[in-house]
Amino acid sequence: MNKKVLTFLVQVARAILVLLLATPAFAQSAAPATTRQPPRTNLSGYMDFHYNKPEFEDGRADFHRFVLLLIHSFTDRIRFVGELELEHALVEGLEDAGELELEQAYVDFLLSRAVNVRAGMMLMPIGIINERHEPPVYYGVERPFVDTVIVPTTWFEAGVGVHGEVGRGWRYRAFLTAPLNAAEFNAEDGIREGRQKGAESNMGRAAVAGRVEYVGRRGLTVGGSLWSGHSGFEFRRRFDVPVSVAEGDVRYVRDRLELRGQFAQVWIDNADLLNDALARRVGVDPNVARVMRGFYTEVGYRVISGARFGDVGAFARYENFDTQFRMPAGAVRLPQFDREAWVMGATYWPDPDVAVKVDYSLVRNRSMVIQAPNSFNVGLGWWF
Amino acid sequence: MVVLMRYLLGTLALVTFAGLTGADAPVQNTSLDEAQIVEITAERFSFTPSEVRTKAGTRLEIRLKSEDTAHGFHIVGTDVDIELRKRGRGVVTVSFVPKAVGRYTFECSQLCGAGHEFMRGVIIAE
Repeated sequence: MNKKVLTFLVQVARAILVLLLATPAFAQSAAPATTRQPPRTNLSGYMDFHYNKPEFEDGRADFHRFVLLLIHSFTDRIRFVGELELEHALVEGLEDAGELELEQAYVDFLLSRAVNVRAGMMLMPIGIINERHEPPVYYGVERPFVDTVIVPTTWFEAGVGVHGEVGRGWRYRAFLTAPLNAAEFNAEDGIREGRQKGAESNMGRAAVAGRVEYVGRRGLTVGGSLWSGHSGFEFRRRFDVPVSVAEGDVRYVRDRLELRGQFAQVWIDNADLLNDALARRVGVDPNVARVMRGFYTEVGYRVISGARFGDVGAFARYENFDTQFRMPAGAVRLPQFDREAWVMGATYWPDPDVAVKVDYSLVRNRSMVIQAPNSFNVGLGWWF
Repeated sequence: MVVLMRYLLGTLALVTFAGLTGADAPVQNTSLDEAQIVEITAERFSFTPSEVRTKAGTRLEIRLKSEDTAHGFHIVGTDVDIELRKRGRGVVTVSFVPKAVGRYTFECSQLCGAGHEFMRGVIIAE
């Protein structure tokens, strides 16, 4: 290549660079954002105040969640999102006290609509509720049981990943994150206590979390999620505990009607070795299952919509959740953790961002000895 | 090679000129008959449709409503940034003319929940 051509190529490259930077409209054909705006910071949040009256027990008033969300735009392409949550109003450092949790604290690098990079503390993209849990957007005072003991919401972890959308409403997220800690699994709450929550999380072998969803048709969301990780890092010299979570969900909203359904299953390999090791360590066999499963369906309908005083909706939800679904060889299944629930109630929205909720929860299990308590619940939740 | 590069540079200059002369701010002067009406619904955490196709130079009349809380509608790199009222409180309309061929990203500009950052879409001007 002679010098003349080389010089010309350099000039062309320089011209392209200058032109791309100078022309917002053209630049958007390659990237979504070109103009820098002044730094912007916004504060929002939601709160959740409950009264719970379990059967045969005194009622309890609980300021369940006080959550502040923060977003700061360094530029149109670089943003910080934070979510700080105070649970149960008080933090004492004891087991039954509240928790102060950093549920989100990540930076998004918005490269294009199709590919963006996220790093920091992130919500796991699993199920309906985990990424969509503002009180006015779901029926019921408490979150679904399936989204508590099978999908351990709020499930957040430190990591890095990509997300984006292609075509008309096809979205994906793929994250590398810290795994669950199998040493904290148990029979009743499944994998819930295994969340490391970004607190010096072990990242010896990163877990992968991914979700694909379709939101291209108005009111319809169909999604599927997978999580897979090696959770036996406390026992790695002897064995590992590979864990997988698969989930599928659908949500449909049309005018006054809202339908939801979700199915989730957890597989825990080497559950027998895990139970044996934990029994030796703490003296009690945690009876962790090798498969856990849960699903629910929900119908909600706004019986009053658009009235001057607000909207009123009624709902019914059926849940089936079993943290002892399939046991490892030699383990005895505990039938009290094979549960089902009917939750029925109503929500009054005096404003779209304020929800007054009341419901009754009928819970049954397969045990002939241990009863699952029903409960009457009242909640006030708001978003600002 | 030199001819090819000159052709490339010329094409780029033309495209750029078209872009520079067509600022991305909403244009009001196009007659209503020529407008392409687009209805977009916002809810946590998506716009539907999230992909809008049009021809460069066409005036888009974008009608927006929310199914839940207040959202924002911002076309990145432009002055278009409006607030969508909460559910049941009406439709807001904004005009936008994509003067040049390209992809114009739009996004929610009002923090609306944990998944706010996923609320993005694109106007593809061909």
